[in-house]
Amino acid sequence: MTNVMEVKNLRVGIRHDDEDIAIVNDVSFHLNKAETLGIVGESGCGKSMMSLSLMGLLPAGVRWQSGDIVVDDLQFKNFKTRDWRNVRGKKVSMIFQEPMSSLNPVHTIGNQIVEMLLSHEDISKKVARVRALEMLKLVGIPRPENVLKEYPFQLSGGMRQRVMIAIALACNPEILIADEPTTALDVTIQAQILELMKDIQKKLKMSIVLITHDLGVVAEVCDRVIVMYAGEIVEEANVVSLFDSPKHPYTQGLMESLPDIDNEKEYLSSIPGIVPSPGNMPKGCRFAPRCPMAHERCHIEPPTFKTEDGSNVKCWLYSEDREEVKL
Amino acid sequence: MIQEADVLLKVEQLTKYFPVKGGIFGKKTLQQVKAVDGISFEIKRGETFGIVGESGCGKSTAGRAIMRLLEPTSGDVHFEGVNLSKLDKNEMRKMRKDIQIVFQDPFASLNPRMRVYDIIEEPLINFEMGDKKERKVRVHEVAEQVGLTIAQLSRLPHEFSGGQRQRIGIARALVTKPKLIIADEPVSALDVSIQSQVLNLMRDLQKEFGLTYIFISHDLSVVKHFCDRIGVMYLGKMVEITNKHDLYDDPLHPYAKSLLSALPTSHPLQVKERIILEGDVPSPSNPPSGCTFHPRCFACMDVCKTVAPTLQEVKSNHFVSCHLFEEEGVKSG
Repeated sequence: MTNVMEVKNLRVGIRHDDEDIAIVNDVSFHLNKAETLGIVGESGCGKSMMSLSLMGLLPAGVRWQSGDIVVDDLQFKNFKTRDWRNVRGKKVSMIFQEPMSSLNPVHTIGNQIVEMLLSHEDISKKVARVRALEMLKLVGIPRPENVLKEYPFQLSGGMRQRVMIAIALACNPEILIADEPTTALDVTIQAQILELMKDIQKKLKMSIVLITHDLGVVAEVCDRVIVMYAGEIVEEANVVSLFDSPKHPYTQGLMESLPDIDNEKEYLSSIPGIVPSPGNMPKGCRFAPRCPMAHERCHIEPPTFKTEDGSNVKCWLYSEDREEVKL
Repeated sequence: MIQEADVLLKVEQLTKYFPVKGGIFGKKTLQQVKAVDGISFEIKRGETFGIVGESGCGKSTAGRAIMRLLEPTSGDVHFEGVNLSKLDKNEMRKMRKDIQIVFQDPFASLNPRMRVYDIIEEPLINFEMGDKKERKVRVHEVAEQVGLTIAQLSRLPHEFSGGQRQRIGIARALVTKPKLIIADEPVSALDVSIQSQVLNLMRDLQKEFGLTYIFISHDLSVVKHFCDRIGVMYLGKMVEITNKHDLYDDPLHPYAKSLLSALPTSHPLQVKERIILEGDVPSPSNPPSGCTFHPRCFACMDVCKTVAPTLQEVKSNHFVSCHLFEEEGVKSG
């Protein structure tokens, strides 16, 4: 398998009182060709900030502190605005959670797709318009000729998300980053969109990074999964082993707190306490204060990655004599 | 059928239409949005009744119309034998001591300028329950029951996390010792690990105080975990009402079937036969003729396009509103 993207020791954060506070701390992973990599975690775990840094879209005040992202021979770290513009949409594209606020309300759907095409490719407006129509057909929009002339408010949530996907894929990017693409949608529409994403991936052979908090969506579409907690990766595994035998106590807690539709129990187990805030992180393992299996060492020293049954897990529970691994 | 004495709440043909105003002075009613269109069901004392459906199906409006936070357009709601729709404003206000509501957004439903103690105490003052001393005892008691410490009571809502705010909302609903609590998406704004804490709390409280819940949610796995009986809503109508095992093992209505099949799998290797629905939910201001589900239905017959089906008991305690299960439907289909 070829590696299309590599994230190396990425650290993203804010500066507060002359101190660098990390929101994403020392995150490393890679993305294979034509795979779907899931990134799961609860709100505030840094998954959205990480995905924004992949596109160079960090909000004001949030800074890239260290580390690098490599796609092909490009190193994103030293990118200027113009470099980013060449990459966005062409190599890496993104779709967001709320399709209404990511589409421009005063331009027609057609113009928004055409704009994307014209900014990256040397084609005429006419050709771009034909391509836009093809894209709408690809994402399964009924009566695409009419939709081309319509405005975002005339479409439903599911249709808007399809348009977002059409715009994101217009220039054939190698990598699609999908940040909670179905969270704002109903289950029946969610099923349609997930089906569409799987379908298009097969056709275009692209790699997807899917950011979500929903383990059901992960089970549905992902090949490999990264679990994040408090700005760090705590576990990386292929999707089947993650569901069969989660290794990290946090992943286990997360799995058990989900109501299982096939197995009934009277009470759900839950993880006590809440996620610590950035700038106020525990000294040792960040999950230690909430961990049912924490021992003395966990509170003093942050753990390193160990391999256990093919999964990589950042936890002291997995024997110490093994070598540290790099993701 | 359910024994009359066991029934805590009986809803009959409840409707809520919102007028769409227009014209030069904005006084002419152009059309009606039928948010809730004639729903009927009964809830037994001590049970949890779930209302599920997609956004815009009218489930929240139904919850609000039951306790007359929104004045229903027509229909009756009987609570312990009292017809709520016949009460005047003042009597209804007193009735709400027994019917309380927990809202979805724990950030918007708490007054940011009030201390937690005052938020929980306010219903007691409203309903003139006890003097200052007694109220204090009661607030402390309830706070402890939902897992808040006495020290936290003097804080403001913004100092709490989402899960803890939802506990405050539950404490406020619980303080008047209600019989029925309407929980409108109480956990959908919360992360899964926090969601399970709140669901466990609600279950504990139900056992301890014999509470009856109406649990409104779009999350089918949470509803299965938490509810005893479930009503599935589509475009303002109840299409299927039954206990949770019958619904999840053997859904009858085509909409309920496809809704359940659309759920993501709980394991990556699980293969699911999926019925992918075409299109979107139609606008409730201009619903399709006949059965409102017919344009998206995979089992649509001619009769569905013209005649609206009614809710009928097709198996014991399993109510479905679909022509497939009516005498005529069986013949022609």
